[in-house]
Amino acid sequence: MQRDKFFREEKNVKHPNEELVKTHCSYCGMQCGMNLRVNKLTNKIIGVEPRYDWPVTHGKMCPKGVTAYQQTNHDDRLLKPLIRDDASLKGTKEGFREASWEEAYDLIAEKFGELQEKYGKDSLSVFSGVSMTNEKCYLTGKFARVAMGTRYIDYNGRFCMSSAAGGFLRSFGVDRGSTLPWTDVHETDCLFIAGSNTAECHPTSMFRVWAVQDRGGYLIVADPRETPVARRADVHLDLRPGTDLALANGILNLLIQNGYADESFINQHTNGFEETKELVKDFTPEYTSMITGVAIEKIEKAAEIYGKAPNAIVMFARGIEQQHKGVDNVSAYTNMALITGKIGRPKAGVATFTGQGNGQGGREHGQKSDLLPGYQKITNPEAVERVSKVWGIEPEEMPKPGVSAYEMFELMDNKTIRGLYLLCSNPAVSAPNLNFVRGAMKKLDFMVCGDFFLSESAEYADVILPSVSWSEDEGTTTNLEGRIIKINKAQEPIGESKPDWQMQVELAERLGKGKHFSHLKTAKDVAEEFRLASKGGVADYYGATWDKIDEQDGVFWPCKDKEDKGTPHMFLDKKFYHPDGRAKICALPYRPAAEEPCEKYPLRLTTGRVVYHYLSGNQTRRIQFLNDMCPEPYVEVHPITAEKYGIKHDEKILLFTRRGKCNYKVKITEAIREDTVFVPYHFGGDDSINLLTIAALDPMSKMPEFKACAAQIEKLKSGKVL
Amino acid sequence: MTTTKRKLYMELENCIGCRACLAACTQCGGHEERNRNYVYDVNPLVNRQTMPLMCLHCVDPACARSCPAQAIQIHETGAVLSALVEKCIGCQNCTIACPYGIPKFDEEENLMYKCDLCIDRTKDDIPPMCASVCPSHTLQWLSEDEINQKKQKHELDNDKWVTSLPHLEGDTHVTVNLPGILQGTTKLF
Repeated sequence: MQRDKFFREEKNVKHPNEELVKTHCSYCGMQCGMNLRVNKLTNKIIGVEPRYDWPVTHGKMCPKGVTAYQQTNHDDRLLKPLIRDDASLKGTKEGFREASWEEAYDLIAEKFGELQEKYGKDSLSVFSGVSMTNEKCYLTGKFARVAMGTRYIDYNGRFCMSSAAGGFLRSFGVDRGSTLPWTDVHETDCLFIAGSNTAECHPTSMFRVWAVQDRGGYLIVADPRETPVARRADVHLDLRPGTDLALANGILNLLIQNGYADESFINQHTNGFEETKELVKDFTPEYTSMITGVAIEKIEKAAEIYGKAPNAIVMFARGIEQQHKGVDNVSAYTNMALITGKIGRPKAGVATFTGQGNGQGGREHGQKSDLLPGYQKITNPEAVERVSKVWGIEPEEMPKPGVSAYEMFELMDNKTIRGLYLLCSNPAVSAPNLNFVRGAMKKLDFMVCGDFFLSESAEYADVILPSVSWSEDEGTTTNLEGRIIKINKAQEPIGESKPDWQMQVELAERLGKGKHFSHLKTAKDVAEEFRLASKGGVADYYGATWDKIDEQDGVFWPCKDKEDKGTPHMFLDKKFYHPDGRAKICALPYRPAAEEPCEKYPLRLTTGRVVYHYLSGNQTRRIQFLNDMCPEPYVEVHPITAEKYGIKHDEKILLFTRRGKCNYKVKITEAIREDTVFVPYHFGGDDSINLLTIAALDPMSKMPEFKACAAQIEKLKSGKVL
Repeated sequence: MTTTKRKLYMELENCIGCRACLAACTQCGGHEERNRNYVYDVNPLVNRQTMPLMCLHCVDPACARSCPAQAIQIHETGAVLSALVEKCIGCQNCTIACPYGIPKFDEEENLMYKCDLCIDRTKDDIPPMCASVCPSHTLQWLSEDEINQKKQKHELDNDKWVTSLPHLEGDTHVTVNLPGILQGTTKLF
C-alpha cells in the first residue's frame, strides 16, 4: 500500500446494524474513495463515511461526493421500463407508460429489425458515456458492433477527454491521462496548471496543490478567470479564451531562448525540436502578450519559474481541450515538459484532469468510433482479428469505423441514422449547438434510452430502460491517474432496474446474437472477457485482476500479466510509445478561435462547471443540498463590462450568439476578464448555455469548441433586480 | 494511530468555497442532516475568497455562560456541545451571546443546535466530518506536535514581516457582553 505524508491511520465510526462498503465516488475522474453506509436490516444505503485509507484522497470528498449516496434511493429513480406510443410528444416528459421488460425488449427488437431491414445495418447507432465501469463501456462497444452490427457508435468523451487523448497520442504515442501517480503532485516544485478550475472540478486535488506552495514550490495557473486555485497562484496567466496555443508557444520560446532546453534529453529521446524552435521564434513575449492579453512580465515570470524548477508537472483540463485546436493545445503544453526533459521521472511529468469518472478507461475499450478494447485501432487488421476471436465473430463481420459524437447528430438530421440507443449520457444538455442537436434527436424514427433518472435526453426516447446507479453494481473504473480501481455493490437494484450490461445481454438474445453474449451472467464474467479483449493493446488490462486491484489499492495500466504490478510512472526508461521510442515535440502554428468577437458579438463566451454539479446536472440537480447551493445558471460579468451595458448584479439579461439565446441572472465579479463572460453548463431546457455554444470541431479529436465563441448581451426591459 | 489528543486546526487561506464541510456536517449521525457550520464569501463581487465559520469551542464559552438552564455542556475533550434536548428552554440567549453567530435556533423543535465537533467521532479521536472531507486542508484534525510544527513555520528570525505573531489565534481587543444588557435597567414609568 502506498503511503504519503498525508496518510493517517484512522478508525471509522460504525453504527449498530450498519455495514460499511468500500467503494469510490460516482462522479469525476478523481474517483475519491468512500465507504457507503448500509443498514443491515433494510439492506439500503443510508449514508457515507470517509475512506481514510484510500491513498489518493485519504477520506476527502467534495460536496458532490458527500451526497452521492442520495442518488441510489432517490424518489426520481426510474423503477420500470417506460414506453411512449405517441411520438408527437417527443421532447417532453409526457406520454410515458410503464411496461414490462418483455414488452420493452420485444418492441426494441421489432423496431431495430424493421429499420435495419429497410435502411441497412448502419441505420442504427449507439451514443454512450464514460460515467460507468470499464465492464459496461467494454460491453457497450461489443453490443453495438456484434448485437446491433452497426458502425455508428461514439460517446460523450468527445465532449470531454478526446483532445487530451489526441494530444498525448501524438506527443507520446500513448494516451495515459497522467504520466505519474497523484501521490507525486505535492512533491513537485512547480505546478503549471492550464485551463483547469481545479478547486471546483477536482477539489480533492487541492490539498496537494497547496502543499506545493507550502514547501516553497510555485503555482502557475492559466485561466481567463481568477478561479479559487488561480486566486493563490504565484503567477496567474489571465489569457483570453481560445488563445492557449499562443501562450504555450510563447513560453516555449522563452524556455529555449533562456537556456532551459535540455539538449541531451532532446537529442536522445525526441523528434521535432528544430522545426518547433523555428516556429516558436515568432512568439516573442510582446507578440504572445498581444494575442493572449496576458502581461509580458507574467509570461516571462511563468517561463522563468517553470524553467528553473528542478521538477515540475504540467497539468491541464477542459479549458484548453474544449477548443477546435484542443489537440494542438495539449501537444503545445506537453512540449514544455519535452524540451526541458521534465518527464519520465518521479515528480515531473504531464497530466490531464480527467472529467468523467471513467473518462480514462471508458475511452480505451471500444466505445470510440474507431477503437476496439485495449486502445486497439479498428482499422488495424491484426487487432480486428484478435478481438473478433474473443467475440466469436469472423473478422469480416467487424463493422468499419463510424463518426464522432457530434457528427452522429448530423447523420440523424439527414436521416442516415434513424435509430438510437442512448445510455449514460445526456446530450440534450451537454452537446454544443443544442437547437440543432435537439432537432436531430426529434427526427429519429426510434430511440431507446437507458438511464436511472429521466434526463432531458430521455424525453426524446420511445423506450426508456431503467438502469442502476453506480452503487448497485460492481466493476472497475480507471481514475485520472490511470489507476484501475474497484467499484463495489452496496445495495440490490431498486425496483426493476438492471445494470446496462445485463440489459445488453438480454437484448442481444432478442436480436438473435445470444451466442456471443449469453455466457455473461455477472459483471465479473464481463470483466474476465474484457481483460482478454484488451490483451495485446496499448491499454493492456490483462494483468489487472480484481484481486490484484484489491491487494494493491488499484493497478496502473499497462499491466500485461499476472506478475506485472502495473505502471504508476510512465516513461521511466525514457522510452516513449512511438515506433522509434522517441516522443514528438510538435511545431504548432497558432489559429484563433473558430468564432472571434466582432462588432455584433463583441464578448467572448466561455463555459464550465461549478463545484456543486456534475456534467449535465441530471444527477446533481436532484440532490437537495447541491441544488440549494446552486439552483440555477448565471452569467459572470466584470463590473466594467456590466457598467457598459447598464446591467446590475442579479438582473436578468439576454445573452445570445449566432446560434441561440438564453436569459440569465448577472453575477458581477472582478475575477473574470473584461472581454469574457462565463456561464456554467449544468442546466437543461431553456437554461442550457449549449444552446449558444459553437460546434466547431477539432480536426483530430472532433472536440467541439465549448470554451470560446462570440456573444452579446442585451439588457431586458423586464430584467428587474430580484 | 497517534496517541496525542488532536484538535481542529484551520488554515483559512486554503478555503476554496466548495462547502464540502457543510455537506459533511449533515452526515454526522447526531446532526439531524442539518449543517452546523457555515462558509462565507468574503468579498463576492470582487474575488472568490471564501472562509469557513466554525464553532471555535471556546475555553470559556459565551453560549454556555449565557444559558440559564445549563443546557450547553462542555465535554471532557473540550468540545462545547449542542443543547441538551431535555434542558434547553428555547430562550435563544446563546444565539445572541456567541460573538461568531454559531448557535442557531430551530423554531419547530424549540431547540438550539450548534456544532458538537462530531462528539461521537472525536471522543474516540476520529476526525470530525468537516475536517475528514475538507479537500483543501483548510480544516484539519491535528495533534499538538503537528500544530507546534505549524507554529514553528511562523517563527522566522529573518527580519521579514510575519503576519501572525503570536501564532494562529489570540485574545481580542473587543469585549463582548452576554445577553441581558437591560437587566439592570429600571423602566422610566
